[in-house]
Amino acid sequence: MSSSASRPQVVKRSWLICLTLVVLSVLASLLIGAGDVSPGRSAQALWSGADSEARFIVMELRWPRTLLGAMVGMALGAAGVILQSATRNPLAEPGLLGVSAGASFAVVLAISLGSSAATLNLGVAVAGALAGCFLVLLVTQLRGIGSDPVRLILVGAAFTSMLMAISTLILLSDQRSADEMRFWVIGALAGRPTETAYSSAPGVLLGLLLMLPLIRPLAALALGERVATGLGHHPQLTRMSALVCVAILVGTATAAAGPIAFVGLIVPFVARRLVGPDIRRTLWLSLLIGPIIILFADTISRLVVKPYELPIGVVTAFIGAPILIAVVRGHRLPTL
Amino acid sequence: MTALPTLPTRPVVSEAPAGYAWWRFGRYSILVHRRAWSSGFLLIAAMIIVSGISLASGAAGLSPWTALAAAIGQGEPMHVFLVQELRLQRLIAGLLTGAALGVAGCLLQTLARNRLATPGIIGIDDGATAFAVASIVAIPTTLAPSALALTGAATAAGLAFGLSGGAGARGYRFIVVGIAVGALFGALTNLMLARTDMDSANQAYPWTVGSLNARPAQAVWLLGIGLLAGLPVAKYLGRALTLMRFSDSVATGLGVPLKRMRVMTLLLTVFLTALAVAVVGPVGLIALAAPEVARYLVGHQGVPVFNAALAGATLMSLADWVGRTLMAPIEIPVGVIMAVIGGPYLLWILLRPSARRAP
Repeated sequence: MSSSASRPQVVKRSWLICLTLVVLSVLASLLIGAGDVSPGRSAQALWSGADSEARFIVMELRWPRTLLGAMVGMALGAAGVILQSATRNPLAEPGLLGVSAGASFAVVLAISLGSSAATLNLGVAVAGALAGCFLVLLVTQLRGIGSDPVRLILVGAAFTSMLMAISTLILLSDQRSADEMRFWVIGALAGRPTETAYSSAPGVLLGLLLMLPLIRPLAALALGERVATGLGHHPQLTRMSALVCVAILVGTATAAAGPIAFVGLIVPFVARRLVGPDIRRTLWLSLLIGPIIILFADTISRLVVKPYELPIGVVTAFIGAPILIAVVRGHRLPTL
Repeated sequence: MTALPTLPTRPVVSEAPAGYAWWRFGRYSILVHRRAWSSGFLLIAAMIIVSGISLASGAAGLSPWTALAAAIGQGEPMHVFLVQELRLQRLIAGLLTGAALGVAGCLLQTLARNRLATPGIIGIDDGATAFAVASIVAIPTTLAPSALALTGAATAAGLAFGLSGGAGARGYRFIVVGIAVGALFGALTNLMLARTDMDSANQAYPWTVGSLNARPAQAVWLLGIGLLAGLPVAKYLGRALTLMRFSDSVATGLGVPLKRMRVMTLLLTVFLTALAVAVVGPVGLIALAAPEVARYLVGHQGVPVFNAALAGATLMSLADWVGRTLMAPIEIPVGVIMAVIGGPYLLWILLRPSARRAP
């Protein structure tokens, strides 16, 4: 990784590893579950329709869930990479900075005010994520805080805990829809309607498309604002559009699966370890790593507390918190 | 002593330094910081008023005077039962936990030279909660929550300090490591709650938000004893901590045994936090707000241990009262109230552009 001569090989090898892992994680997610259907039976059901019970479970329950997991993983992973390079902060993470909290709070508020349409939730979640993003932008503009990666996390944590508390207040006051809303506070891939995976696809696609023209400006921004300006980019404009992009991705992911923290931290961290800090490489790789993390975490969450399921955020927290510590402990925080 | 040669006579000081009062009792005299004492009395008055209101309000409304009288056993038997058996216990639990958390926050903030370094933010609360929940889920005895909460708090504090390489100069790094440690223990709590059947999960739910509704009487007793023992130690440590707010070399030069003081302060913080969390669950923001109120009132640069305790007790019982009455008959957990009020305040501390952040 350090020697530039072997970099193309390293990149190629990373891609191969990640592609293999994607296939493995999809298979694991399809074959392993909390119920009685054994992996072997599930595998058979994939090929033949003889065992109708197993086939129903695999094709009707696990397949949409796997697809949803892959969508959410792609969205959160890419959002993490973009947010980190837009804020030039290796700790930036949509969940930690309050973007996810903004999205889920907006949905809770909307539901308590009487809306219930699933399509509306998507728009509301994106709007909430956008509000969270602009708080981040506002904070990075403040003198002394923008340059301190660690303090930004604190602002996010404070913002998140406040929104969580207000959400709890709303849940307490409105027992009727509390069950419907609890999902928005915790986050899970389980029990989502089948069409969620398909309805969130346009949002993820839109976010990824908007991301394309931003890659080069963001790579230039990594060299510093002055260099980026000298190269003909507009740092402020780049940052704004990057945050809109993040808001769309995170809003869609949150509308689909609730707030899942730490994925946006794990994915860029792993991607940087594999192919170096260049966003032109990490961004594409993150589209693979995101689904891998989410799908494996989801599979683990089904296995740990059989026959119940664990909220997926618990699993990602167990992976992500040590990584957060590792990044903070790093001898010098790498500036992106 | 009499054999000593005559020393030059001490200058006779008849005036106390500005801001201090000089109390003499015959041969003994003490210097008293005027604002510290006056704000102490102010806080005690506030505490009594809040207690009266808190005792008086509830499903059966009493007048504050009836309630206070009932608290000392006067008045109708029905009222006496209501106040003494139900409300007074809850009030005492609130006052004690608030005081303990206030002192713990005050100590840790000074130790880390950062007002955001409170037990709640660096994960000590979460550690204590995780272990307390473990004890409820696994070994349902009455003393276990306090004992295990101590273990959990110590583990979390050890992790946060160990992994960040000490508080002090590392500044915010320490806090973010603490946040990560807290997230780990929070996930652990959720994991345990997910594993259990609904009944004990319901029993353990208050632990995840922080509520005075679930206080076990044994743990309150332990907290009371611990606070009684801990407050004098905290006051003693406060003197050294005042000097430790200078740089390490200056503090060493002034005769502070840095290492020992740091370890003792950390231990006391963990001790008080754990005992309080075993009663109330994670209500971290009290530890942030109470020392802040105390410092604002006292206005000098010391370590206001007693005032922080009083402010914490007042704030906790006030927040609990608000939670009980705001949406009655639904009860809002005190942790939620504190997060709603404390969150904007925390943001304000963080976002003030030219803030002096060291307490």
